[in-house]
Amino acid sequence: MLEFIQIAIGGLVVGSIYAAIALGFSLVYRVTGAINLSQGGFALVSAMTGYTFAVAWGWPLVFAIPAAVLTTVVAGVALARFTFVPALSRLSNANVLMLTAGILTMIEGFSLVVWGSQPYATPPFSGEKPLAFGAILIPTQAFWVFGATALTIFALWFLIARTKLGKALRACAENPAAASLMGIDVPRMTLLSFGLATLIAAISGVIVAPTTSLQFDTGRLFTISGFVAAAIGGIASFPGAVIGGLFLGLVTQLSTAYISSLFSSAISLLILLVVLIWRPQGLIQAGVPRRQDTRDEVKAAGHAAKLPGHLGWPLAALAVIVAALIPFVVADNGIMSGLVIAAILFMALMGLDVLMGYAGQVSLGQAGFMAIGGYTSGYLAINHDIEPVLSILAGIGVSLACALVLSVVTLRLRGLYLALATLAFGLLVDSCAVGFLDITGGPSGLVGIPSFSFAGFTFASPRAMYYLVLALDVVILLGLFGAMRSGFGRALKAIRSDQMAAAALGVNVVRYKLAAFLISVTLASLAGSLYAFFFNFLAPEMVGTSRSLELVAMLIIGGESTLVGGLFGALLLTLLPVMFAPLAIYKTFASGALLVISFLHLPQGIYGALIQIITRLGGSRDVAAAKAGATNSQVQAS
Amino acid sequence: MSAIDTQIVAGESAILSVRNLAKSFGGLKAIDDVSFDAQPSEVTALIGPNGAGKTTVFNLVTNIMSRDAGRVMFAGRDLAGLSPVKIAGLGLIRTFQSARVFPGMTAVENVMVGCHRLARHSLPSQSLWLPGARDEERTLRRRAEEMLELVGLLPFAETHATELPMGAQKLLEVVRALMAQPKLLCLDEPAAGLNDTETQELANLLRAIRKLGIPVLVVEHNMSLVMNVADRIVVLDSGAIIATGTPAEVQGNSRVIEAYLGREGQGGQNHAVS
Repeated sequence: MLEFIQIAIGGLVVGSIYAAIALGFSLVYRVTGAINLSQGGFALVSAMTGYTFAVAWGWPLVFAIPAAVLTTVVAGVALARFTFVPALSRLSNANVLMLTAGILTMIEGFSLVVWGSQPYATPPFSGEKPLAFGAILIPTQAFWVFGATALTIFALWFLIARTKLGKALRACAENPAAASLMGIDVPRMTLLSFGLATLIAAISGVIVAPTTSLQFDTGRLFTISGFVAAAIGGIASFPGAVIGGLFLGLVTQLSTAYISSLFSSAISLLILLVVLIWRPQGLIQAGVPRRQDTRDEVKAAGHAAKLPGHLGWPLAALAVIVAALIPFVVADNGIMSGLVIAAILFMALMGLDVLMGYAGQVSLGQAGFMAIGGYTSGYLAINHDIEPVLSILAGIGVSLACALVLSVVTLRLRGLYLALATLAFGLLVDSCAVGFLDITGGPSGLVGIPSFSFAGFTFASPRAMYYLVLALDVVILLGLFGAMRSGFGRALKAIRSDQMAAAALGVNVVRYKLAAFLISVTLASLAGSLYAFFFNFLAPEMVGTSRSLELVAMLIIGGESTLVGGLFGALLLTLLPVMFAPLAIYKTFASGALLVISFLHLPQGIYGALIQIITRLGGSRDVAAAKAGATNSQVQAS
Repeated sequence: MSAIDTQIVAGESAILSVRNLAKSFGGLKAIDDVSFDAQPSEVTALIGPNGAGKTTVFNLVTNIMSRDAGRVMFAGRDLAGLSPVKIAGLGLIRTFQSARVFPGMTAVENVMVGCHRLARHSLPSQSLWLPGARDEERTLRRRAEEMLELVGLLPFAETHATELPMGAQKLLEVVRALMAQPKLLCLDEPAAGLNDTETQELANLLRAIRKLGIPVLVVEHNMSLVMNVADRIVVLDSGAIIATGTPAEVQGNSRVIEAYLGREGQGGQNHAVS
C-alpha cells in the first residue's frame, strides 16, 4: 500500500505537467480550432535555458527561472507571429497541425545545435532532501510542481471566465467570423492564446526540469504526453485537460511500476485509441462544441502543380535516364547510400501522397507501417531463413492486417482526430518496437538482417540496391500515375474536397478512403522492409515517429498531390546532410524550418516551383492562353 | 382498399413517390405528412416560402437525414435504409443548394466525377494502363466536354472549378449530375445566387434536360423559372403540402397566394410572385 501511494504521488507529479501542457493545447484549440504541437518544444527550451542561466552561468534561481520563462515566451510569440498566425488564415486545420509539428522539429533541431545531444540534470529548487510524511517520502520539487500547476489552472480559469479579455478569447473560440465583426482583433487573440500556451509550457518546463533528465528531444515527449492527455480528457475542455493529464500520469507511473516500463506508453496509447473509438470528443465534452461541419474549401485544396502535357513524358524519360546513369558518375559510397535511402523513402512518400495529397487523409504514423514491415521481414529472414521476397510479402500482410484494425478507428475520423489517431498508432508501434525484445531486439535494434537477394543474386552493394529500388520506384510511380490521372484519382480528389457531394454522385467514400489507406500502408511496409535489408539492421528510431514527421515534411517540401514531389523532399533532406557532413547537426532544424517555410510560402512545394519555371521557360502558349481566356470571361461575367 | 393504398397504386407509374413523410427537430414538426409523386419525363417543382421545409424533403428523400415516418419509392424500390451512395447508384442524383463543385479540380474533371458510378474500370486496370481503361477515360472525357459545350463552358474545361463565376459553378454542378445519367435529377435551388442572364441559361438547360426525357425534381425560389419550366408544382408551407397542380392551377390557388403574400390586411411577408 505504501509503495502504491508513493508511486501514485509520482504519477500525480508527472500528471501535473501533462495537465499543464494539455491545458495549453485546449487553450489554443478553443481559440483557434487548431492544435499546436510546438507546445512541448517550448517547455524544453525554457527548461534548458533555465539550466544555462542557473547552472552554466551561475545566476541565482530567482532570476534564472523568470528570465528563462520570459525568454521562451518572447521567442515563442515572435515565432508564432510569423508562422502560426498567418498559417491559420491560409491552411486547413490539419495542415496547421503539421506546421506546428514543423515548428516542434525546428525547436528540437535548435536545441540540438545549442545544447548538443547529451542529457542534462538541473538541481531541485529547494534541495535534494525529500520531505517525510510518516514512511512516505515526497521530493520537495513535487510541491513546486503541484503549486505551479494549481496556480496556472486558477489563473487561466480566472482569465477566461472573469475578465473581458477572456470573453474576447471565448468569442473567438465560438465564432471567429462573428467575433471579428464585433471588433475583436482575432489574429491578436490568436497570438495571445499562443503566447499564453507558451507561457504555461515554459513555466511547467522550468519547474519539471529537476524531476527528469532533459535532452534536445525531450520536448517531443512533453508534446505527445500533453496531447494524449488532452485527447483523453477532451481537447475542447479545460477540466478535461487537467483530468486527462493527471489520469495519464497515474496510468503511466503505475503501469511502469507494476507491469513493465517498456510498455507504459503502449498502455496509455491503447487507452487513447479506445477513447477515440468510444468517445472521439474525449471523456469530458466542452459546453460549446466547435463547429466541425463548416467547410474551409479555400484553405482545404490548393491547386496541384501539373506539367504542361507535351513536356511530361520527355521529361520523365530524361529523369529515368539521368537516374540510371548516376552510379557511373558518383563514386562516393556515402552519397550512393544516401541516394538509396532517398529512393526507398520515396516509395513510402508516394503512398503517403495518395493518402494525404489525393485523398486528404492526414497520417502522422506512416513510419509505424515501415516498422511493422521492416521488423516482420527482418525477423523472418534472420530466424526462419525465409526468402527476402517472401518475408517482404509477409511484412506487407501483417501491415495490412494492422491497417484494417486501425481503419476501424480512422475511417470514422477526420482532420485533427485522424491526425491524432494515426500519431497514436505510430507511437504505439514505437513502444512495441522497444518493448518486444525477443522479436525486435528492443532499443538496441534488430541485428544481422541479410542483404536483399532474389533468384540467387544478392543486392549487397549500394549500387545494386540502387538499381533495384530505382526499378521498383519507376514501376510503382507508373502504376499510381495511371490510377491517379483516371477515375480512381478523381474519386479521391472529390472525397478530399467534399465527401457529401462525392457520395451524392455515387462515389463510395469509405471504400476509396480505405483503398488509399491500404495503398499507402503497402508502400510504407515495402519501404520499411527494403530499408532493413539495406542497412542489415533496424532500430526503433529509424522507423519511429520522428521518421513519420520527416515523411510529412518531405512530402510537403517536395509538393503534395503530384506523386513525384516527394522525391525532391526526400533527396533534399537525405542528401544535404550526407554531402555537407559538418552541417549534419543542422538537419533536424533545417527539416523543420523547410516544412514551415514550404507550408507558408511554397504551397506547391519544390516540384510546383520547378514546374512554374519550366512552364515559363517552355513558354507553353496553350496554358497561358487558357489562363488569359478564363480571366477575361470572369471579368465579363462579373 | 383504403385511400392510402390507392395512392400507392397510383404512385406506381411515378419515378419517385413520396408517402406520408414526416420529420421533427426537437418539438418542431419540420415535415408533416408530405406525399407527392414525380412523373417520368416531367419537371416537378417543389416550391414554398423560406423555411417551408423544401430542402429538408430533399435530404429526407436522399437519406442524408433520417426520417421519422413515411416511405419513399424510387423506380419501384423502397429507399429505406439505403446509404446516399447506394441511392446515387440507383440513379437518383442530387445537387446541393450552395454550389458544391470540387475545389482543386478543373471544370472537366468535376464533370467527369459525375460519371463515376457508370465507369467499369478502376484501380487495377487503371494502374496497369490497360487499353480498356484508357479508352474508357477518353470516352468519358469526350462526353464531359460535350456536356460542358451544352452549357457553353467548354472554353473553361481546364480552368479550376472554383475560379469560375458563381453562375458557371451552378451550371457545372447541374451538368456534373447530368453526367451521371440520372433516372431522376434532383436540383436544390439551382437558381440561388444567379443573375437574370444566368437564370435564363439555367432555364434553357432545364428544358434541354426535359427534352432528353430525364425527369427532374427541382426545389426553387425563383417563381419565373418555376412557372417557365415546371410541368407540375408541389407547394409546401410550414412542412405540409398546401397545393399541387400545373403552374396555372397553382398560380390561381388562394392558399398559395396567402402563403406567399400573407393574409389580406396582415402586411405579410415580402415574397414576390413575379
